[in-house]
Amino acid sequence: MSNRNLVVTPPPHLKQRDAVADAMRDVAIALVPVTLVALYFYRLHAVITLVLCIGASIGTEIVVRRMMGKQPQIGNMSSIVTGWLLALCFAPTTAWWTMIIGAVLAVGVAKELMGGLGWNWFNPALFGRIVPVAFAPLFSWIGQLLSSTRFSLAIVDTVSQATPLAMLKGNSLAGAPSITQLLIAFPGGGMGESSALALIIGGAYLLVRKHINWRIPVGMIGTVFVLTLVLGKFPVHQILSGGLLLAAFFMATDWVTAPVTNNGRLIFGIAIGLITVIFRVFGASPEGVGFAVLLMNPMARMLDRVTKPKVFGQA
Amino acid sequence: MSEVSIKTFTRGGIHPPEHKEPTAGSPIREIPPAPEMILPLSQHAGAPCEPAVAAGDHVLAGQKIGDCAAFISAPVHASVSGTVKAIEDRRNFTGAMVRTIIITPDAEQQSVPSVAPRDWRAMDVEEIKQIVREAGIVGLGGAAFPASVKIAPPKDKPIDTVIINGCECEPFLTCDQALMLKRPDDLIEATRLLMRVVGAKQGRIGIEVNKPDAIEVLETRLRGDADVAVTRCMVKYPEGAEKQLIKAVVNREVPPGKLPSEVGALVQNVGTALAILDAVREGTPLTKRIVTVTGAVKNPGNLEVYIGTPVSFVIEQCGGFSAPPGKIILGGPMTGWAIEDLNLPIQKGTSGVVVLTQQYVETHPILACVRCGKCVEVCPMGLMPNVISIYAERGNWDGAEKWNAMDCFECGSCAYVCPSKRPIIAWVRDAKAAINQKRRQQREAKK
Repeated sequence: MSNRNLVVTPPPHLKQRDAVADAMRDVAIALVPVTLVALYFYRLHAVITLVLCIGASIGTEIVVRRMMGKQPQIGNMSSIVTGWLLALCFAPTTAWWTMIIGAVLAVGVAKELMGGLGWNWFNPALFGRIVPVAFAPLFSWIGQLLSSTRFSLAIVDTVSQATPLAMLKGNSLAGAPSITQLLIAFPGGGMGESSALALIIGGAYLLVRKHINWRIPVGMIGTVFVLTLVLGKFPVHQILSGGLLLAAFFMATDWVTAPVTNNGRLIFGIAIGLITVIFRVFGASPEGVGFAVLLMNPMARMLDRVTKPKVFGQA
Repeated sequence: MSEVSIKTFTRGGIHPPEHKEPTAGSPIREIPPAPEMILPLSQHAGAPCEPAVAAGDHVLAGQKIGDCAAFISAPVHASVSGTVKAIEDRRNFTGAMVRTIIITPDAEQQSVPSVAPRDWRAMDVEEIKQIVREAGIVGLGGAAFPASVKIAPPKDKPIDTVIINGCECEPFLTCDQALMLKRPDDLIEATRLLMRVVGAKQGRIGIEVNKPDAIEVLETRLRGDADVAVTRCMVKYPEGAEKQLIKAVVNREVPPGKLPSEVGALVQNVGTALAILDAVREGTPLTKRIVTVTGAVKNPGNLEVYIGTPVSFVIEQCGGFSAPPGKIILGGPMTGWAIEDLNLPIQKGTSGVVVLTQQYVETHPILACVRCGKCVEVCPMGLMPNVISIYAERGNWDGAEKWNAMDCFECGSCAYVCPSKRPIIAWVRDAKAAINQKRRQQREAKK
């Protein structure tokens, strides 16, 4: 009665259905509300940004993995989500080639060159968004080259007003949108900053589906609120504008680049909040949450070590 | 009764689907001996036995056919009367080679002479321990640790609480529930017997609240009892793991690397406790056990099976497969072993035969750890299975040891939740084996 093609694998023989792809699909679902708001505000520009970023991310994964002799893993939806998040980080006025560079850096450098999903030290989407800005001289020649070839898609002029965060840079709220406007929907900055409410809905979905842990967003948002309150820098406006909610729910909570212990997650969230406030209040640029997350990303594994839980029964 | 609190361990745990409906509460069915009985001489944790019979010998049911002088061991008895057909090396369910006695049953089915019922209250405790040893009793919950060793803790570790493990937290399995329903009075007597043996003043029977019938039948009998009581346990896996159950019932934590006696507790599974009572009271050695046969079989149930019965025979006794099997598991689906050869026997520690159809057979590729942290959240031992798995996957045993791989008791909660479908338990087993070997070598080098 042997050899019935019975499968022999080690226990456990029951497994929860959720796989990495299911979690990625849920992240994509959670991004739908804010994406709809962005599409409402920016129309064709939003469509172009999304298509370019997601397409370039998938293309980069296929090319880089093939070059490394590995099978692409498009099925786990990781590069789709990375491209989508990257698109939401960009303003719709961003030059198309910046988006492509961002996608190549995100998926090719931050993820695949580090060993693929699971081994990356930086959140890929933020890496792709921030590195071209931080190292602008390295990339500006590409822009010059391309603009001289009249190849530009000329995505400009749609929304050229100052971002809400830049309006908060001073010491008064003159000209800044109201809390209600910010909460429901207000254009300016990255596409993913269009609606705090839409981000909160997406974040709540991820919390309910248990894909993210509350400690990171609560640590981040709570720290920004308390510190800006103390500093007299319009705490509610600070939370609702800029990429704070987008980063708190979708980037700082990125599994791979955040700590895995509960205490580590809380410390991680608080530290990102603290660095964000330092950048926003004392830095030259109004934005800072993206830098803050990228600065803390490489600390995740160290935080795991120092917050390693006590073994059962250990004194 | 709504005032009764429900106890559980505090850290980690999961809620896998229970799948107990097909056999829950179904009465125990006896099945006859198979045409050929297979009795490995190592069915327990510890030293294997040497054969005490030779090929061609006639043996009686209950006759000792293998024994060993080592402290951590348990003799093996013929479960049927018949002729020793062969003594040969065979692979057991883990793949290890084990000396195995094959018996062809005869028509008479004679047992060794029975003893007159004994009153354990009047017996010497050392004599009781000797009887348990001679009866070959091991933990019937699955771990198969010799019961004689467990009931003889070091003198400097007094035991105040005996915990009977009726949690049965493994999905699919219902054999302990069936025993609690069939023999509640005996189970209470077995609890008192164990309390006397180790000098404990209280006894607790821990039962998950998904078995209200078993709780009720025992609580009715224990009403007003000063020493023995039922502890209602939360339906959570691995509630029935020894350290977790002690935490749930008496809120004590057994330190890493230590035994339950460290915190004054003795835990015995329901089936083990009853086997001990049978041996002490009636003089019967361990030759039968209750096995839940379930999943894709036509007539699932809780069967009383002679130890050594081939799995194929047990499945035939349940009407055969009801659907093409994809995987057959000895034990429960969380910690049991998948087998290919259906000629393997039911052993002392085999609590179930679970036939899973193709739909349960995992097809997901193994991905890299994505650091979701779900394994850290569910680990009942407070370990970081993600880190251990990454080290063990690469054969970095020192790294695995540093991250407490040796404290893992392989409940499988981590691998159950892992979205990357990583075989964490398989890697942990590799790491533990390598670490144990290294420690042995270090000990020998010191000598």
